[in-house]
Amino acid sequence: MPALADLPTGHTFDPIKFTVDAAKSRAYRAATGDPLSLYDDTNAVPPLAVAAFALGALMKVIELPDGTLHGNEALQAHAAVPVGATLTCVPTITRNATRAGTVFITFEFVVSHNDAPAITARSTVLFPARAS
Amino acid sequence: MAEVAPVSRVLTQAMLHAYADASGDHNPIHIDEAFAATTPMGGTIAHGMLVLSFISEMMAGAFGERWLASGSLDVRFRAPARPGDTVTARATAQEPRDGRLRYAVEVVNQTDEVLISGTAEVLSEA
Repeated sequence: MPALADLPTGHTFDPIKFTVDAAKSRAYRAATGDPLSLYDDTNAVPPLAVAAFALGALMKVIELPDGTLHGNEALQAHAAVPVGATLTCVPTITRNATRAGTVFITFEFVVSHNDAPAITARSTVLFPARAS
Repeated sequence: MAEVAPVSRVLTQAMLHAYADASGDHNPIHIDEAFAATTPMGGTIAHGMLVLSFISEMMAGAFGERWLASGSLDVRFRAPARPGDTVTARATAQEPRDGRLRYAVEVVNQTDEVLISGTAEVLSEA
């Protein structure tokens, strides 16, 4: 498993496939305490859940140092994601920089459903350079 | 502009464990109290994406399916949320732009410290 700080800006990961089934969606909504009936009414997954699952899938193929913090997050929904969808996530490192002893890594994700972007996101994480 | 009702939650360590299991993010800064005590945070902190979910819930409550298909967020995590904190997501309407409704959004804690701030947008109704 590669250490994150060793991966250069511009590195694109192999596509990662994951499925958001009903149990995963329910568990996410229970964990966040989201009471909205919208997701039952529309059979859709919360867009932030999709981004969280994409980050979780990425963390299975890279090593984030313990204590890594989340600095910024941007997300754009392009289409509702139905429960049961199999999604393909392609993450790219768009920034890998060290400043004042802190490593800043920015990932951009394209999460697609049926070959069309459903969610695009940009996540910046940071950790002490010594932790990398 | 649609009214966007605030969303409040009291964070607990049990919520952080449940979110770690649901999301797959088991970073010990969120779930290992002994580890977290040795970090500059001094204790566990909530996942940023968990706290951010309250903004998404607030916007989904106001805009429904439009949020699911066209919503966007761009935020900065400014301070940690901790177990025991009462956090509130709230939105202030801005001038619409390029066919999209725009809101300044933030999450604050019980002392009104800003934990997350940024913008949320959603497609205007046709």
